[in-house]
Amino acid sequence: MSGSSRGTKSEAVSTAEMEKSVLRLEVNYRGIFQKSLAYRITNDLVYAAHSEGKTAFSNGRYSDDPQRNGVPCANFAFFSDALSEDDLEAVASASMDIDRANVVVVLDDTMVKGLEPWGHYGIRPINEKVIPGGTLLIVSRRKPEELIRHLEKKTFDYNIAILPGDQSFAGLWYYRDDATDVRTIAAVARVAPEIVGIHSVEEYVKKKYNDAAKVKSLQEAYDSVVVREVKQSEGIAWPHSKPKLPSWDSFDEGIVVKSVERGFTLGPRGQNRNPNFKRGTSKTQRPVIRFDTCIKCTLCWYDCPDECFDPTADGLYDVNYEYCTGCGRCAQVCPVDDCIVMVDDLNFEDNSSPWEMYKRDAEGYVKWLEEKKGKVRFMPSPVTGKGVRHTEIKAAVPFKQDGGN
Amino acid sequence: MAQGWRGKEAIEMATTTGVSKEEFKNAKLYKSVHGIDMEEFYTSGHRTCQGCESALVMRDFVKASGPRTVVTGATGCMYVANTSYMTTPWVVPWMHTQLGGGGASAVGMAAGLRALMRKGKIPDEKINVINFSGDLGGGDMGLGGISGALQTDYDMLIIIYDNESAANTDIQATNMTPWGAQTTFTPTGSKKRIMHDKWKKNVAPMLAIGHPNCKYVATACATFPPMDYMNKVKKALSIGGPTLIHTMDPCPKGWDYHPRYSGDLGQLAIKTGIFPLYEIIKGEVNYTYDARKTKRVPVREYLEKQGRFSHFIEDDFEFVQSRVDEMWNDWEIPGVAPIKGWLSVRR
Ligand SMILES: Cc1ncc(C[n+]2csc(CCOP(=O)(O)OP(=O)(O)O)c2C)c(N)n1
Ligand code: SF4
Ligand code: SF4
Ligand code: SF4
Ligand SMILES: [Mg+2]
Repeated sequence: MSGSSRGTKSEAVSTAEMEKSVLRLEVNYRGIFQKSLAYRITNDLVYAAHSEGKTAFSNGRYSDDPQRNGVPCANFAFFSDALSEDDLEAVASASMDIDRANVVVVLDDTMVKGLEPWGHYGIRPINEKVIPGGTLLIVSRRKPEELIRHLEKKTFDYNIAILPGDQSFAGLWYYRDDATDVRTIAAVARVAPEIVGIHSVEEYVKKKYNDAAKVKSLQEAYDSVVVREVKQSEGIAWPHSKPKLPSWDSFDEGIVVKSVERGFTLGPRGQNRNPNFKRGTSKTQRPVIRFDTCIKCTLCWYDCPDECFDPTADGLYDVNYEYCTGCGRCAQVCPVDDCIVMVDDLNFEDNSSPWEMYKRDAEGYVKWLEEKKGKVRFMPSPVTGKGVRHTEIKAAVPFKQDGGN
Repeated sequence: MAQGWRGKEAIEMATTTGVSKEEFKNAKLYKSVHGIDMEEFYTSGHRTCQGCESALVMRDFVKASGPRTVVTGATGCMYVANTSYMTTPWVVPWMHTQLGGGGASAVGMAAGLRALMRKGKIPDEKINVINFSGDLGGGDMGLGGISGALQTDYDMLIIIYDNESAANTDIQATNMTPWGAQTTFTPTGSKKRIMHDKWKKNVAPMLAIGHPNCKYVATACATFPPMDYMNKVKKALSIGGPTLIHTMDPCPKGWDYHPRYSGDLGQLAIKTGIFPLYEIIKGEVNYTYDARKTKRVPVREYLEKQGRFSHFIEDDFEFVQSRVDEMWNDWEIPGVAPIKGWLSVRR
């Protein structure tokens, strides 16, 4: 690495020595509808750092492509005030993924429940890469404590920072600019001024957008960030193990992937599914089902593109949240009013079978469910970037003792 | 929140699309949504987008064809998203083939099975051979191979799943991309608003007209009307010989809409008449949703729900409407063959 023929200024310096000045940033976002947003954030941070005379570059996690809606993805940015571009690239960009970061940005707070971007990756904690004293910066309407209870317990202290805001699904061809980009950059300047200072950010944004509203939102964002230390005693023992990747010498002859073993019975988890890749970490919301008002029409089961519904002996359809991507198709197709409703996934503790809970105590289940749902219903615009409509219902549909038929 | 009418109407439609033709009495067609097999042979744990309709095209064809099925799939989303690092959602045997290789791979598989059975190496039984290819892989690149396959006497079904772009490689225009749509090849701009100025290739009729030995060609949408697509798969497999189904697959990524609305968009594609639903059985056209008899929904209701058309102005909506009207009002075989629509004998 040192002594590169490209005439770097750090000849004869070891990698470990060069490493000292490198700062790393990771941006976690949801595939496709947050992609343009994430790229704006890392690009703008790099340019703002350049304006301070730093060396910086960014890239996307190669293995995320092709991206799919909802799948957790990541961008990286690297900064140094001592290294040349060649040296920074040599130290920072050799691998596909990074293993540590000074700042980990999260654009959808439901990602605190874990990330599984592809098969055999396992469900990994969002704070996995945060270094001692580093910061986990989350765009969220929640209090830090509500998020910390989902995080893996670390062996050291670090910080959590909240930038108040909603998950911004900015869209693909139709891009909605709600200033989440500049707000996030300002928040990074707040929690890690060593990456880039707020003045440079302001100057850069002024020059790039020439838009007073954008500058104002970034200043507001800078002031509104809430930072709190997370002690090493806080968080949970991570419940998901890290799978061992099958290596080339454990493959069968040819390129053979083992099929899912055939198996089906009625009831929860009765269908065999792909054991090495679950899609549950793709969801921002989950469907909750009023089994008592269900008319057993089959359509949620029929329309689910991820085969998440398990038919039960009593004609209902249990849902397997481990695999549910939260697309909302079942809620859209259900013919009964307020029977399937999409609810913020952070309101839920686990992925256990809702049908079993209903069978144990039907009325208790409905009461629990309606509390989780609350009174506000979210309805996304057909064109994603055009936002979400919120409506308030007056009262929940009363519990039906004898079911929906 | 529930949309009420959509589900209810869908149930009614499911029971009214004619399913009991004499020639398909051995096809074991579904007669009610409650009679659909519950077991999955393409199951959870795939890396397709939230709300992906093409995933349902996979799930439903193999549900309809059952466990004695072998599948070949051309490169594209339905290969890549379904093989996330050495994992698969398939229960039945499945083989990847090259982007344009759908037809040839199906012929090879069917020929191989026939030879093994003739030599007594495997039991003589009906094994369904199905290939899926995307609109680029099947409708553009692989057209020659599919044409070849349709001229053989092997039993096999080729499904062109049409998400109207090369979706896997991040949404490039194909010849099945609809007029005016934004893709990475055809972005809108200040100098030229409409970059994709070609009308969608009419692939199913072209293959039906050109291959008179092919006994069954159909168009379908996986979820609307319920059962329609699965019964078409059953009909295609029972009639024998090479057959073809072209499906219309709303794609939340490329079309830029919230994944919740895939079902609605499939439904609207059919109700606006922009995607005609029919089957061609031994040369006879049978509409499975007859847009001549129902009042067509204005195409605007379909187009305005997709970000890929967000640059449309009034003229554009009108232009698309006029072409769809022409297709239903002026074509010799409405919605299918434009013999009178734009082809005529030179005087
Ligand atoms: C011969 C060849 N050319 C190009 C590619 C790159 N490629 C992979 S998938 C794909 C798009 C396929 O589009 P389509 O058949 O419509 O399927 P979709 O991805 O939309 O499901 C392309 C161009 C390839 N794999 N092979
Ligand atoms: S939201 Fe509904 S339709 Fe979508 S994956 Fe989850 S269970 Fe299936
Ligand atoms: S769509 Fe609604 S009414 Fe129909 S089976 Fe599912 S939950 Fe029940
Ligand atoms: S890009 Fe379209 S076809 Fe491909 S996985 Fe996503 S929704 Fe399905
Ligand atoms: Mg395609």
